[in-house]
Amino acid sequence: MPRLRTITASFRNQALHFLADPQWLIPNVILPFMITLVVLILFEGQGGNFALYAVLGGGMMGMWGNTLYASGWSIQFDRWNGTLEEVLATPSRLIWIIAGRSMWNALIGILNGLAILLIAIFAFGMDITIRDPALFFLAFFATLMSLSALGLLFSSAFVLTRQAGVLTNGLEYPIYVGTGCMFPIALLPFWTAPLSLSLGPTWGIDAIRYAALDDYAGLQTGYWGDLLIMVAISIAYVAIAVYLFIVVEKRVRKDANLGRY
Amino acid sequence: MMAGNRMSSEEFAIEVKDLVRIYKTSQGVFRKKKKETVAVDGISFSVRRGELFGMLGPNGAGKTTTIKMMTTLLLPTSGSISILGLDVAARPTDVRKRIGLVLGGEKGLYYRITARQNLRYFADLYGVPMSEREKRINDLLDRVGLKDRADDKVEDYSRGMKQRLHLAKGLVNDPEVVFMDEPTIGLDPQAARDARSMIKQLVADGKTMLLTTHYMYEADELCNRIAVVNKGKIVALDTPRGLKGLMQDMNIIEVEGFGITDHEIAALRGMEGVRTVSATISESKQVLRIQVVDASEMLTPVTQQLRDCRVIGTRIKEPTLEDAYLWLVEGDA
Repeated sequence: MPRLRTITASFRNQALHFLADPQWLIPNVILPFMITLVVLILFEGQGGNFALYAVLGGGMMGMWGNTLYASGWSIQFDRWNGTLEEVLATPSRLIWIIAGRSMWNALIGILNGLAILLIAIFAFGMDITIRDPALFFLAFFATLMSLSALGLLFSSAFVLTRQAGVLTNGLEYPIYVGTGCMFPIALLPFWTAPLSLSLGPTWGIDAIRYAALDDYAGLQTGYWGDLLIMVAISIAYVAIAVYLFIVVEKRVRKDANLGRY
Repeated sequence: MMAGNRMSSEEFAIEVKDLVRIYKTSQGVFRKKKKETVAVDGISFSVRRGELFGMLGPNGAGKTTTIKMMTTLLLPTSGSISILGLDVAARPTDVRKRIGLVLGGEKGLYYRITARQNLRYFADLYGVPMSEREKRINDLLDRVGLKDRADDKVEDYSRGMKQRLHLAKGLVNDPEVVFMDEPTIGLDPQAARDARSMIKQLVADGKTMLLTTHYMYEADELCNRIAVVNKGKIVALDTPRGLKGLMQDMNIIEVEGFGITDHEIAALRGMEGVRTVSATISESKQVLRIQVVDASEMLTPVTQQLRDCRVIGTRIKEPTLEDAYLWLVEGDA
């Protein structure tokens, strides 16, 4: 099936489910929003970069939370619901179905980031200035795509397990910390560096900060260097995910565990 | 060889050869105990294009496993399946485009969205042309009697309505071959009759169908041929008339009563001249159907065996498809 049609259908289906059940707002929007609120209160009056770190961190947490939700909990939901077999019986590849879901959920994360930005400006009177808005939004959008690619990579494992939801919860915080979305990864122990640098969003967040802050010198690769590395890593994620999904789809047909929950 | 294959796929929509499916499970953490269960044990059959083929069998006989293998959801352990000339194991995507699947029961639908949204989603996943999509969805909703509730959420549907939506979903890609696993389960008598009419119409329109059912009258009414499956094997394959013909030298003694114990049923089964006994409850009465070779000869010994029970009626009846089925799966056929 044409991939774009599958991705679009899956994106729309996810949106319809989201709108049909507003309780999804609690873990995916309200929680990161509250975390950011706490950070803003803590650093209120300090000025400098803290407010922007908090706003960006909250937005990224929301986006990752939503992406992970799409790839993990939604597969669990399909398994419970008996629809995992039904969608696998169609000619559309499961990977593109999950890609559409991930994109919708990452988009919801953007709205979360926007809400946090508005709260920071209007409720806390933060002075948030973005050095180059065009580069900022380009990096922001690219990071969103990279998060979706990372979610896609993990989702192949989620198809195999009946505990995808639990696995999802376990993967939430390592990415928050590892990508440095709330604070610079330079603050982390040195042995975590390889993990952090292998994550596409780490470079995306760095690019966002290059675009937003004056005199920022994060990973020393510069804005375009960050973006290039992130795109390369994300393409690798998708390539590995495509391969893994072929293996996984064959495996579930062999092991007959799709209908089990 | 090539010419032979082509001819074969032109005549047959489904060809199953020596199909085996073994489920492997393990128990324990450190000392894992591995267990193998043979769900399908070397079955072979072919379904002609435009035929309505039924699979009958008790729970756990291997019907659903066979359907899942034919619809690409499971890989066979050995053997082969060809759908419209395509190898199911090697070309699953090509097969999926041309088949429809109706799995019965409460699951398999998105409850939080409407019937129309469910059908639209699956139409997109099947790649139904955009120019035809809405018309086809409206036609299907009309056909299954859900047009007036098409924009209600599925979670507000009755079980019968969900089953009808399953039927519509299985037809959304206008498949050439349709697999239906217990398509009328959960439907009220009127809805079940409508579903059967729809199935007949689909076959009249040229579709090939394979269905499983527990309802004998349904199989008798609908199917051109029936495979009776038991313990993973096909124990009989014939037309409904042919299957009933297996019982031509048999009679049925039907006994209605109360207080008939398992012990007495076992004793009846052990009597010489009795082939098999089925016991059901109907309107609070127990109903025994006792298959015997000679009813006039066996009537007295049977009545004698049940002398301590409250028997309210005894009749001699002609065998039905259900009797043939029971003999095949419970008797010593």
